[in-house]
Amino acid sequence: MNYFNLYSNILLTKGANRMLISDLQRRQSEIQALELYDIIEEFKTNSVEEVFSFYDDDSKEMVQEYLDFLLEKEYGFITTGDWDRNFAPLSLDYLDYNKISNLFIERNDLTIQPGLIQSIANLQIKHLVIYCGGNVSLSDFLKLEANFENSTVDSIEIFAPYHSEIDENFIQLLNKKAARIYNLVFFNCENEPFKAENAFKFDLLFSPQNLKISSCGKVSIDYFDTNITKVLEAINHNSCLNKKIGIDIHGNIKNCPAMPQSFGNINQNTLEQALTHPNFKDYWNLTKEEIETCKDCEFRNICTDCRAYTEQTHFNEQGLDISKPLKCGYNPYTNEWEEWSTNPLKYKAIEH
Amino acid sequence: MILIISKNKEVTTDEVIKWLLVMDKKFIRVNEDEVFEIKVASKRIYLESHRNRFFLDEITSVWYRRGGLKFKQTSYKNPAIQTHMRETQHWLEDYVLKTLEAKKHINKQSNSHVNKLMVLEKAMQAGLDVPQYYLANNTADVALGETIVKPITGTPILNAIDGKANAMMYTTVIDEPEEQEFFPSFFQEKVEKDFEIRSFYLNGKTSSIAIISQNDEQTKTDYRKYNIQKPNRNIRYNLPKEVEEKIDLLMCSLDLNCGSIDFIKSGNKFYFLEINTIGQFLGLSEACNFSFDREIAAYL
Repeated sequence: MNYFNLYSNILLTKGANRMLISDLQRRQSEIQALELYDIIEEFKTNSVEEVFSFYDDDSKEMVQEYLDFLLEKEYGFITTGDWDRNFAPLSLDYLDYNKISNLFIERNDLTIQPGLIQSIANLQIKHLVIYCGGNVSLSDFLKLEANFENSTVDSIEIFAPYHSEIDENFIQLLNKKAARIYNLVFFNCENEPFKAENAFKFDLLFSPQNLKISSCGKVSIDYFDTNITKVLEAINHNSCLNKKIGIDIHGNIKNCPAMPQSFGNINQNTLEQALTHPNFKDYWNLTKEEIETCKDCEFRNICTDCRAYTEQTHFNEQGLDISKPLKCGYNPYTNEWEEWSTNPLKYKAIEH
Repeated sequence: MILIISKNKEVTTDEVIKWLLVMDKKFIRVNEDEVFEIKVASKRIYLESHRNRFFLDEITSVWYRRGGLKFKQTSYKNPAIQTHMRETQHWLEDYVLKTLEAKKHINKQSNSHVNKLMVLEKAMQAGLDVPQYYLANNTADVALGETIVKPITGTPILNAIDGKANAMMYTTVIDEPEEQEFFPSFFQEKVEKDFEIRSFYLNGKTSSIAIISQNDEQTKTDYRKYNIQKPNRNIRYNLPKEVEEKIDLLMCSLDLNCGSIDFIKSGNKFYFLEINTIGQFLGLSEACNFSFDREIAAYL
């Protein structure tokens, strides 16, 4: 007798009509029919020959094709006599050493007050995202970088409006001096000042869109990422808000600048104080399994989620918003993607 | 206070330190560019470099990762005094190192660099299966196509061999005879493998990963020849209990409490290949969600 062994780093996510096979090692996911999910389940408790005997002659061909596919993709392997029981399951625990991994600041300039720099050091924050509403000069960028010399911050992402001083020379100088900026987006840019090729330490994008904080929260296949660390985080925590902290344009300390609830103001309180608020971490453990519609979606373990812009249709006993993200156009029951902003059912929530 | 002996830009050390910070454990990291003087204050010995200063009695545990503690040597003009002071310095250093190694530790500076030939003998004594091996300075007795050659040294890297790039000494199958004699080299029977196993051992506990490369010609003899397009499968694997017990015996006989151990699985046998005490293991740890870095931090 032959036995099919599924590799433990292949994760199957069952959706309402389809399933997603995620190869956590090779960082790829692909959509497959639910019947393959059932066949793989049968292979877990039956020999290959037994599974074939469950199907009639016509269907046997299909089972053979699926088996060939699983072996060709190296999702598993065949053993004789028994399953190789020494292959242990993958632990799905998520362990990380960050108190806070991500700080998202909305401001009109790039000035960071000394008290906030100290908090960033105390909390050992690694990633900084700044949405800046006002124009930024080269010296502003360099001052920001200088703030975090010898700090735990290792990457900075900046969204800022395009203005006429920004040309190739500006970017070249920034490239020479910046160490932590890894992504730079200039929005409201009708004409790119030059062709931004991958010649810099950071990714650079000139976008014609008028980006706002409310532009965040889009759920799209472009943002899906089959990365073992992100997937394990999504299985155990909220894939957007876990270990994140935000400061909005008014200085309010929040889970993300676009979230409604404030846990203090940076002009009076520290990030550390806000973190001790009993409700600060409420959303951190809200997984997709608990969110309406998402819980039936095959993409739930590789999705980005958004708790700031939702359809606002469901709340749990704790008062947490468990509605589907507003800016997700995917319907797991019909498997169709549509432009979320043109769906009439979503108008009410957008107006909010 | 934890003492970490390592090198600059050593990523495994960096990761363990991040966990120590979360666990609120205090530590001192010593890198290769530090030279210590042994000093005394109020009858207590302390070590001082340009970066660090600590009392011997405040160290509670030691992690020897790489490099080693270095001490400042003073020269004296008078040969008699020079000889006497050398010996004095020697015994002081000996006392400091032995005192540190007597504390709770992960590996030791004095025995962390293992001799591959000795390790193979000890492995056989522990009851592990070892592919037949021998040293030879010609290929007269080498069974072509069935024998591999690999370095006796700890590191397989030839630094800047042509003045620029490093070269890597991969394990290679001997396909043709060599006419001339050469430096004594290590030959070993080539075992047809189902797959390779890399075990991480820490204080009696073994965690293993199967590295499945057999489908792939490029990685057949040495899994370090990565195939970027289609990487080897790295999968959690449980070695049989009796093999784990033999690993424990072997590590105890070598007085090591941490290391990576390589095996080949061939049919029902698990062939021991070698131990690496200072290798990189975090890549495999992450691939199988093991958190070895956290376990090291928790033990210290």
